[in-house]
Amino acid sequence: MQRIAYFALAVLLLPAIGCKANPPSGIETRIVSTAKHHFFVGNRKQKNPLAATPDSISDGREAFSHYCMACHGMDGQNTGVPFADRMSPPVPSLASHDVQEYTDGQLKWVIDYGIWPSGMPGAKGTLCDDEIWSIVLYLRHLPPAGSLGEPEMYSH
Amino acid sequence: MRKQHLILALLLTTVGSHALMRKAHAENAPRHIEVTAKRFGFEPAEITLKKGEPVDLVLKSTDVSHGLRFRELNVDVKVGKGGTSEVHFTPNLTGTFVGHCSVFCGSGHGSMTLKLHVVD
Repeated sequence: MQRIAYFALAVLLLPAIGCKANPPSGIETRIVSTAKHHFFVGNRKQKNPLAATPDSISDGREAFSHYCMACHGMDGQNTGVPFADRMSPPVPSLASHDVQEYTDGQLKWVIDYGIWPSGMPGAKGTLCDDEIWSIVLYLRHLPPAGSLGEPEMYSH
Repeated sequence: MRKQHLILALLLTTVGSHALMRKAHAENAPRHIEVTAKRFGFEPAEITLKKGEPVDLVLKSTDVSHGLRFRELNVDVKVGKGGTSEVHFTPNLTGTFVGHCSVFCGSGHGSMTLKLHVVD
């Protein structure tokens, strides 16, 4: 009888334990990062068909502001995003080495399909290929952190 | 009699040249094309143009703000909510070009395309 009670208590506590969002440890981060870069994120070899010109980078910044800004901030470095470091895993800075290490094709793949089970959703169909490639250009030419202020939606 | 012939010849020349001028003007006049944009498509979704033929493209929106952009042809027109905009251009490349909505308009924005065939 006592064993059944312990089992029932464990089952009841399971959702609470499972849903707790702890920051990942250093080793967890390294394992997941290696797995993403080398196994899970495809399209490694595809080249960006758009040349990096002031116009195309500006197009990327514009497209970024419609779909990505809410989680990544206007600068791609989470400036002004109140929940960025409270998510598990936290929203990464797109200027970080871990993100910049992806090839252009992999960045396109991540924007197309998202990364499960992080909070990153796929944008395929919501943004066209042209816009996604221009966002990849913007990611390669991000402005200094904080230089664009914070998203207006968080200022009210 | 000779005078009558002369008047007739002058009359025919005037009418003929006027008709030729009208024809030439019609040939040089830009082709007028209307495209309707609404979430999440263009109507018509496919158009064919001749290389070198000037075009007046009228973009109408029946709902929110939209745009139509052909990057390769350097054409970009934007239209406000329920409004009408016009762009003039002359396609100088042949091929099939896919235009996209250039104003973010919602969840299906990325699939909103118009196929443009430019032929010789």
